[in-house]
Amino acid sequence: MILKKLSYTILISLFIVVGCENSNEIKKRDGLIVYQEAQISWIRNFNPLSPAGSARWPTLSGIYEPLFIYNSITGEYVPWLALDYTWEKGNKVLKMLIRKGVKWSDGEPFSAEDVAFTFNIKRKHRALDTRDSWGYLKEVVAMSDTIVKFEFKRIYVPGFDALATQSIVAKHIWDKIDDPVKFSNPSPVGTGPFTEIIRFDSQLWELGKNPNYWQKGKPQINKLIFPTYPSNEQVTLALLSGNLDWAGAFIPAVDRVFVSKDTVHHKYWFPLTGHTTFLHTNTKHPILSDVRVRKAISYAIDRELVVKVGMYDYTEPAHVSGVSGPMSKWHSPYLDQAENWTTYDPGKANMLLDGAGFIKDETGLRYTTDGHILEFDIIIVSGWSDWIRSAQIVSQNLKNVGITAKVKTYDFGAWISRMQKGDFELAIGWAEKGTTPYALYRGMMSSEYLQPKGEIADVNWHRFGLASADSLFREYEQTSDKNEITEIIYELQHLFIEHAPSLPLFSEASWAECNTKYFSNFPSAENPYATLSPNYPPENLLVLVNVQNR
Amino acid sequence: MNHSLNYLLRRLGFYFIAAWAALTLNFFIPRLMPGDPAAIIFARFRGKLKPEAMNALRETFGLTDEPLLGQYWSYLKSILQGDLGISIAYFPEPVTSIISSALLWTIFLAGFSLIISFSLGTLLGTIIAWNRSGKLDSFLPPALAFIGAFPYFWLAMVALYIFGFELSWFPLGHAYGNDVTPGFNIPFILSALYHAALPALTMILVSLGGWMLSMRNIMITTLGTDYIAFAHAKGLSSRLIMLRYAARNAILPNFTGFGMALGFVLSGALLTEIIFSYPGQGYLLLQAVRAQDFPLMQGLFMTITFAVLAANWIVDILILFFDPRTRK
Amino acid sequence: MSYIHNSILSRWITGIIQNRKAVTGVVIILLFIFIGIFGPFITQDPTAFLSTPLSPPSWEHWLGTNGQGQDVLAQTISGARQTLLVGFTTGIMVVLIGALIGGISGYYGGRIDDLLSLLINVFLVMPGLPLMVILASWLPPGPGTLTGVLVLTGWAWNARVIRSQMMTFRSRDFVSAAIVSGERNIRIIVIEIMPRMLSLLASSFIGASIYAIGAQVGLEFLGLGDVSTITWGTNLYWASNDMALLTGSWWTFVPTGLSIAIVSFALTLINFGIDEVTNPRLISERVWRENIPTNKAINGITPVVKDHE
Repeated sequence: MILKKLSYTILISLFIVVGCENSNEIKKRDGLIVYQEAQISWIRNFNPLSPAGSARWPTLSGIYEPLFIYNSITGEYVPWLALDYTWEKGNKVLKMLIRKGVKWSDGEPFSAEDVAFTFNIKRKHRALDTRDSWGYLKEVVAMSDTIVKFEFKRIYVPGFDALATQSIVAKHIWDKIDDPVKFSNPSPVGTGPFTEIIRFDSQLWELGKNPNYWQKGKPQINKLIFPTYPSNEQVTLALLSGNLDWAGAFIPAVDRVFVSKDTVHHKYWFPLTGHTTFLHTNTKHPILSDVRVRKAISYAIDRELVVKVGMYDYTEPAHVSGVSGPMSKWHSPYLDQAENWTTYDPGKANMLLDGAGFIKDETGLRYTTDGHILEFDIIIVSGWSDWIRSAQIVSQNLKNVGITAKVKTYDFGAWISRMQKGDFELAIGWAEKGTTPYALYRGMMSSEYLQPKGEIADVNWHRFGLASADSLFREYEQTSDKNEITEIIYELQHLFIEHAPSLPLFSEASWAECNTKYFSNFPSAENPYATLSPNYPPENLLVLVNVQNR
Repeated sequence: MNHSLNYLLRRLGFYFIAAWAALTLNFFIPRLMPGDPAAIIFARFRGKLKPEAMNALRETFGLTDEPLLGQYWSYLKSILQGDLGISIAYFPEPVTSIISSALLWTIFLAGFSLIISFSLGTLLGTIIAWNRSGKLDSFLPPALAFIGAFPYFWLAMVALYIFGFELSWFPLGHAYGNDVTPGFNIPFILSALYHAALPALTMILVSLGGWMLSMRNIMITTLGTDYIAFAHAKGLSSRLIMLRYAARNAILPNFTGFGMALGFVLSGALLTEIIFSYPGQGYLLLQAVRAQDFPLMQGLFMTITFAVLAANWIVDILILFFDPRTRK
Repeated sequence: MSYIHNSILSRWITGIIQNRKAVTGVVIILLFIFIGIFGPFITQDPTAFLSTPLSPPSWEHWLGTNGQGQDVLAQTISGARQTLLVGFTTGIMVVLIGALIGGISGYYGGRIDDLLSLLINVFLVMPGLPLMVILASWLPPGPGTLTGVLVLTGWAWNARVIRSQMMTFRSRDFVSAAIVSGERNIRIIVIEIMPRMLSLLASSFIGASIYAIGAQVGLEFLGLGDVSTITWGTNLYWASNDMALLTGSWWTFVPTGLSIAIVSFALTLINFGIDEVTNPRLISERVWRENIPTNKAINGITPVVKDHE
């Protein structure tokens, strides 16, 4: 009896509440609802210079703007707050022509002074200089309202990227800030399309249009809305129920889960980024230092299966050069003469291992010459499920050629510390990324970053240095000539393939979904004007100024 | 009265020791484990942060190489001053400001469901113990025990999927709707209640059985005592005996359990908050642990512990009020 | 003297054997232990990639495949092994530590008791789950870590209950008599008192095992266990990672959840049985239809023992 009464009371009271809630659900969408950050409650921080990267999205790609935007799909720099640039004095001086007629959101005019100020504030507060620009810069001055001069200490052409994509802050605001490192910039003044904080609660915040935006008629939508979503599961639920318009989340079986629920409006685009996830091989390990063993491991891996099981078939097996997708234009024309050790060929793997002296016993296990079992640990970050899965497949593949490989997971802190100190055998991890494959190959083969085991190395975790590559890096850093750059990259590529310092596993893709019910003109495979993923500031500016109300 | 005061002070002293133990544990656990917070911040940039910037950052975060004991001392000192440090993941936000709103939501959700579950469970326990030949006594205990046997998060996920996603009876997450303004107004309060309903229901469902069974068993023992027989002999109405005589005495042990459960519930809300993306402490804790945000982690563990201790002390006071024997 | 213990023991065991709830529970648990030990030898390889990920139940895969293309039945069966191992190991260790600390505290009293019960109470008020999360996230993941963390955060409750009962026994005549006759304390505790506490120890062990299985599965679900091993907790972790519910792949979610529920429920049944044998008044008075034996009333968990402050 009591239970019955009680359940009635609960049901009735719920329906009352449900009733008043439902009326709110059917209201018109007046802003683009975006998910980019996994958060449970919002903290008000719009400091674009913040070294901890703790500013809210889109501080770097909506509120503040850079000089140039690197478009990862086309592989080109799009002029933004700057119109053009020239290298002078044998690449020791870089001059940028700054756009006229740009205003800050408070109405003050923007000029080259602001650009020079932004770089000089990073010089004064080294914690802000996260990309170490002042390692090669000598000075940055505004020569006029529209020209900024960057003078270099040493010639370092690849430094352009860090300078071009720097978010520019307003001098008249920031020269009054005592400690820009700890400044949370609660009411930002920017040059971007969205600058006005309309509302900021712990669970939801809204960002309105910049009244003084320099691109006439843009942005084309009223505001951006950011509810908190703490996990991918919650993001997916919100996407499915139509409460989210744009998200950058990994969704398993996306066709079945997301698209099938509304084939007209539910869209996703997971383009390759050009970069690669690696199976890192510690080349200071006595066995892994043998290039035959590294290549044998690579031949033994069924990358198709890794991609299918670990990555839901969203990406593709890695190219032997370590770059793919939009970076494929850097592939050397002589690749067909090089050894393609990222193909799946267990026979070749067995042959190489036999040749290296690792003998199989009757149970199929291989042993070293001094009688130890041939085994490695693959270390992965606990909770990074796609990598754990991939590692499990790799481990099975290696078992088939007689290598015992155990998957071990570590907490992120412990994992990164092992990687940096070279305290691992095999590991799945990322590699250096840049606008050309130079960054990747430098991280892979430069002795500049080489550290002994136990010392922290920020890149080159697999600890491989090659003198012949080092001289190519020096050449690359000195030149701004397109043809020369291409030739150097080809040479580096062949060195990489010859030495296999680390093993490309699968291509990286970026995750992004959108709902076109209320908004249109999102980037897509048919209209690839930028990447759809919101996880790529400042490139996302291109999307924010182009999205329209339907 | 002196005795009561003495008793309360003794309990308070104990809570201070417990708090100190928690603080100490809190300090030493992360520091004795591998992993360096600077390396984590560094890793956020995936290799972009250069050593010069990193050293500057270390200073900003106060990650010093001071000996552990010295660090411990300054840690205790700053906590006494109410300074929990600066969060690493939410730099440069102070930990206290991140925690404050989260704590309120956790207390609201956990407190709400605990009180309902305790009262309802105790009531049901009283009823089935009194009416032991009734249908309820044969049905409720096994049914609730079976439901309680499922992993909590499993039930919660199924409930969220069915009632939130498939049937859309309940919201899919959050503590209030996006169209209300937080503050003391009717739409906000209604929205907050509505959003708490499903998480609270799942918490109540799994904990109800425990309260009911323990009340039932204590009631049965109480009902067998002499004074109940005496009350019957006096011809008092059975409802009066049930409520005033038996239940009032039986509730005391259950009440001590209530104090204990507070800790479980406040911390157990962690899983609820994760599944229902409820902006409470539990979720924040998991996030802090994943980002290895020492200051935030310590702050959260400390506030949860203090909340549990404070709640226990309140229960102590209530027991004193209900049970004359402790007042001697 | 020993005939007394034998009679206590045999009476208790006879009671348990005659209690239908306890027997049902024991049979279910034994079945799961059997499956956990021998099952993995007859199933398909639980780690191997066998078929299209998330394919529904079929003849080749009775419970379908999970997101990794592994056989769910094989995963559920080999998950039983480690989950139960960690659960029961924790249960035993919790009771041992609880009996040791609670027993010493309750038997000796005085200063020792003051100190030990302070320790017990501090651990009781410490919020367990957050502490578990913090500890589990720092230590290298694995069954050893899980057991350690669960024991550390779970021993105090049992110690408290055992201490209370030890205090009651301490004041009983047979103990006083033994002390007067010059028996050593250790002997009194082990030979005289412990057999009489058997029912409490047994129900403590079962309670602790239920707690350990639940907490372990919860931690692993949060990704704080070793997700590269196969346990019930990691099965659910992966199911949730693959959004089993949103993809409609109920078969990756339900078998493991149900197994956990059945094991916990069976353990609860045993505990109900023990309680009824110890305190027959708890048995429901209702007359039962004989043909549905499992529908019998389930009564009583150990009442909260009031502390002697």
